[in-house]
Amino acid sequence: MAISTNDSTGRSVMKLYLTSGLVLSALMMLVGLTMRMAQAQWISIQPTMFYELLTLHGAGMIIALVVCAMGGLWFLMRRRISLSAPLAVASWILIMLGVAGVVISVVFGHYAGLYTFLYPLPFIGSWPSWATGVFLIGMMLINMGWMIWCFQILGAVLRAYGSLRGALGWDFVWHPKAFAAAGREPPPPEAFPALVAGLDGLVTGMGAMLLGVALLVRWIDPRVLIDPLWAKNLTYFYMHALANLIIYMLAAFIYVGLSYATKREYHTSRVFVIAWWSSLVFILTNYFHHLYMDASAQPRILQYVGELSSYLTAVPVTAVTVFGALMLVWRSRTRWTLGAVFLYSGLIGWVVGGIGAEIDASVPFNLHLHNTLWVPAHFHTYLLGGCLLFVLGWVFLLLESRSEHSTSKLMCWLIFTLSFGGMVAFLLGFYFGGASGVPRRYATQPLPGPLIAQFATIGAIIMLLGFTLAFFEGLRLRSAFSADRMLWPEDLKVDASLPEDLKVNIS
Amino acid sequence: MVTPSTLLWSMFILLAVGADAAFVIVVRSKLATNPSALLLSMFLLVAAQTVLVFLGVVLSTRFPTEDQTGIHRHGYAARSAWFIFVALFMLAAFVTTIPFFPYLSNVAAAQGPALRVPVIAQQFTFLMPSHFPLEQRIIFEVTSRDVNHNFGIYNSKGELIAQTQAMPNYVNDLEVTFQQPGRYTVQCLEYCGIGHARMEKEFTVGGN
Repeated sequence: MAISTNDSTGRSVMKLYLTSGLVLSALMMLVGLTMRMAQAQWISIQPTMFYELLTLHGAGMIIALVVCAMGGLWFLMRRRISLSAPLAVASWILIMLGVAGVVISVVFGHYAGLYTFLYPLPFIGSWPSWATGVFLIGMMLINMGWMIWCFQILGAVLRAYGSLRGALGWDFVWHPKAFAAAGREPPPPEAFPALVAGLDGLVTGMGAMLLGVALLVRWIDPRVLIDPLWAKNLTYFYMHALANLIIYMLAAFIYVGLSYATKREYHTSRVFVIAWWSSLVFILTNYFHHLYMDASAQPRILQYVGELSSYLTAVPVTAVTVFGALMLVWRSRTRWTLGAVFLYSGLIGWVVGGIGAEIDASVPFNLHLHNTLWVPAHFHTYLLGGCLLFVLGWVFLLLESRSEHSTSKLMCWLIFTLSFGGMVAFLLGFYFGGASGVPRRYATQPLPGPLIAQFATIGAIIMLLGFTLAFFEGLRLRSAFSADRMLWPEDLKVDASLPEDLKVNIS
Repeated sequence: MVTPSTLLWSMFILLAVGADAAFVIVVRSKLATNPSALLLSMFLLVAAQTVLVFLGVVLSTRFPTEDQTGIHRHGYAARSAWFIFVALFMLAAFVTTIPFFPYLSNVAAAQGPALRVPVIAQQFTFLMPSHFPLEQRIIFEVTSRDVNHNFGIYNSKGELIAQTQAMPNYVNDLEVTFQQPGRYTVQCLEYCGIGHARMEKEFTVGGN
């Protein structure tokens, strides 16, 4: 029996998430461009305005990409297990209410405490107290929406694959013969990002709620004091995990999307499962690398844990997901459509961003790189050059599957050259700046910051031209939708491990 | 008997050891003298290799296609070797970076008494002396009066040579021995409000 993916409700929910996420990220890219132009000294904006834009850009971009990843992964899992659409819409509404709160506090209240704010800055700023309150409430609404999604997906995965033991693939790894003899099958590859996002998202989300409540109490009663190091740990515990989870969730796009593009299958293997177990742990322990500069205040052992865990993160990512993806492509019949190109190039962004991250996560190097432009260098590489490309790849694969038009070679080449050429120049600006010690989060930078920013701004403009072309190409593909063509992915085998009542036809 | 997979494995283990040895040698010789060139070239080199591998795999799709089972047979063997390589390299890199951790060590303490200098950061300045002796172990005791700041020391060439956080309620020790006389600048490297980019303090080392 095949599950029909003529699931119009599920598709609508995914569209809601993807459209809002992509619109938000497009707006935030323009905000980012404005800041880079100001650093290049081509336009002049007040520092107050610069830090307001920075707050908006940081929060907006992370949320935009999280929303895209949530919508995509939710849709992929709904093909296999039952997930409630109204609940998914409810969590989307909470997130959007939170986004509105953040926008109100920044635009009308001039809140400029940044997205990864450190206590007690939100209370000692140049903005009114109400702006801090609205910002905190907005962030908590976003977190609530995110946690509802995590609850939903985790609950569904656990129910479908036989509790935590089944969902983790425990018996599949340790008792493979008995497992196979019983006619059982492990969960599909995309169930692992769902499980890890659900578990780690809930654990870190609860940490964030704890911090949020403490800060709200402090907002109501200024006599309440919070330990700044405790607050800093919770801030990074949450923010790091959330940023990290985006890419781990989007790995599901690789498993499904790249299989489709290469006309091959991505299987759950034992090594694959063990890799995801280790990611489950490392996502929670990596954040200590944000606290290398608190060497005396923070217990020393945590600095070592931070470096070791950051280093070992590279093992499951490169040896399993990336290697597996390369094996899918190797001597396959891949048609390099725009969707396939975006999806594949996203992998490069993930790995290259990871290399930048590993260098920064080395304690001796971090001394020269901490809070320089190297930090935005690495996370822009994997959020822009990885995550956003995964999302675009996914969207284009869907459009291409249903459209009677196809993208011409010339257009494909043009979009590729502009987007990637521009992106490389834009990102190199951050890396060069970081290596030269130019601090991040500076409205006006010391030399050679402005010169590098000019180079990077040109890169960003070229990249945005490429993305604009891609947008119009997407519209063109969409205008030629054929009613009798199914939206990919259409045919899917039901997992043997699924209980009978969950083998639903969600049409 | 030597099988191809044993060969492959030993090759990867050797590669890991070799790469790690190279890593240590380069870091040892360049980290103190020219960190920016070292870090940037290390990054660009590995990033370029990555891009080449990905391009190579793209080119392979122009050749006759291969059956997925066949690819699995070779691919999984290569993956195991690659897994060992990455895991070994990362573990070894962890061990080899430990001696470079910038924490106060017993070795440093044996070099003689240190000058302890309190530094107080506040929006948007640093309260601290403006002159320091040359080749003297100095321990900056860094704290903050209001929000989180970061005490980042730049030399006269504009290179970031040392840093630590300035936190309210906590004191972070930062050990520095200035080897070059001249003008140094402290800049705030943790966002602390709208005057963040202007928060700096100059000091001199050596001379009178």
